[in-house]
Amino acid sequence: MSEINLKNAMNTISDVIQNRPRALREFDQIYMKAGDMMMQSEFVARWAKNKHLCFIGDGDAISVCVALLDRRKDVPYGPSKITVLDFDERIVNAINTFAEKEKIGHLDARLYNVLEKLPDDLDTYDCFYTNPPWGQYNDGTSVSAFVDRGIEAVSNIGEGLIVIGDDPEALWTHNVLAKVQTRSLAKGFYVARMQPELHLYHLDDAPDLKSCNLLVRSLGSNKEVRESLPIDDPEVLHNFYGRLQVPRVRYVREVPRLNRDKATEYEYTLELLEDEACRNFYAPDTAFYS
Amino acid sequence: MSEFLRSGHGILFMKVGKHAKESLEDIVARKRREIDEAGFALWGYGGNTCHPATMVRPFAEERALLGESITLCMEPMDSKHDAPPVRATEYSTNGVDWVQIPKAINSVGSRFALFLSDLSEVDFELPLSGTEVAIGPREGRSGHQYIQHRVDKACLIVRDRATILNDARQDKIVKIGLTATLMPPYAAFLRGEE
Repeated sequence: MSEINLKNAMNTISDVIQNRPRALREFDQIYMKAGDMMMQSEFVARWAKNKHLCFIGDGDAISVCVALLDRRKDVPYGPSKITVLDFDERIVNAINTFAEKEKIGHLDARLYNVLEKLPDDLDTYDCFYTNPPWGQYNDGTSVSAFVDRGIEAVSNIGEGLIVIGDDPEALWTHNVLAKVQTRSLAKGFYVARMQPELHLYHLDDAPDLKSCNLLVRSLGSNKEVRESLPIDDPEVLHNFYGRLQVPRVRYVREVPRLNRDKATEYEYTLELLEDEACRNFYAPDTAFYS
Repeated sequence: MSEFLRSGHGILFMKVGKHAKESLEDIVARKRREIDEAGFALWGYGGNTCHPATMVRPFAEERALLGESITLCMEPMDSKHDAPPVRATEYSTNGVDWVQIPKAINSVGSRFALFLSDLSEVDFELPLSGTEVAIGPREGRSGHQYIQHRVDKACLIVRDRATILNDARQDKIVKIGLTATLMPPYAAFLRGEE
């Protein structure tokens, strides 16, 4: 890692976390811890320097961290273009709104479900990033679904960073890692680098469960091609989001509301001060609140 | 150990106590009335360690295919839980389809619930080293290693033999004061008027 101002960089990560929708556990949205987000974002920024990077799903908001660290010059490098594909409209809207507010012109997000073919108008990227459902109960097929989309996004030539479970005690993570590596190789992508047992998550029932960075790269013999088809094979869909968890939802839609980044009104009520003078002073219709 | 805690039996362990300003004794009495009147009771809970859709229901459905039921084993404890007593009005097993909760059923202050067909006061000790995690990222880990810190509930399977410990003091032996049988649909999300 190059020299960076850690305080500034952490505050940048903090701004991103503040903007992030709450995780939906039923869709395997489990957020990475802040310190690991910081390290991961710096690594991604360096790895994808001056490249076009496509995220296949990004609940963690690593994409936003990478873009904002670069925008604020907290790190002196980063991708030249970042696109996020996610099926959660809350995430898509949060990214696009934040990018506009922070004037990050090279970051955008669009609604997309990984079970569908890639949008026809999607550009070709240099590299992809995915942190998919980790495939404990589907032998890694949920991981492969996301990785396949990543390979399609780079049109079969480029690199990918796959973040999946890698834990010495959870032997299923080793099986999934082997499956994903085998599958990637069959698609013409070899493992160029691996950073084992790296990240921790806000996961109540396994707070010590770790994931790794698995960096894959296309073989020199790969031909530039993009063939993207919908996924409807029951074998792939079975246990997609966990044991007996077949996907039913195409998109998570955001319920529109004013002041998305503020506390909702059903979270609290106001109990006013007893004093008459104070009540008059704080009355909501005075200029104090205008 | 109680007779139903035989090898291979599925249990859901949790700690219970005062909840939403109501004592455990009052909750138990009320739940029994609900079972008498409606044929089932909803036992509310929270946290992410026994998620209804990704943990409890898959666990219970797999055991049901084997002709087995899940026994909820509860350890009474002092609790300062003071969640607001907001009544849930609907439940959902998948987060998409919502069902009205019968008027006879009151589940308050919780976002998840288990479906109980009975509720019994019992008194026995459960050595968690004799169990292992049934589902989730830590599947297979011994219960006495899993239940710690913020993890206070778990889907467990009773092992053939207890984990061999270097020191018996490493075990966690919990005192079960209440048991219940889970019935379909086993677990659900709740929502109410907010």
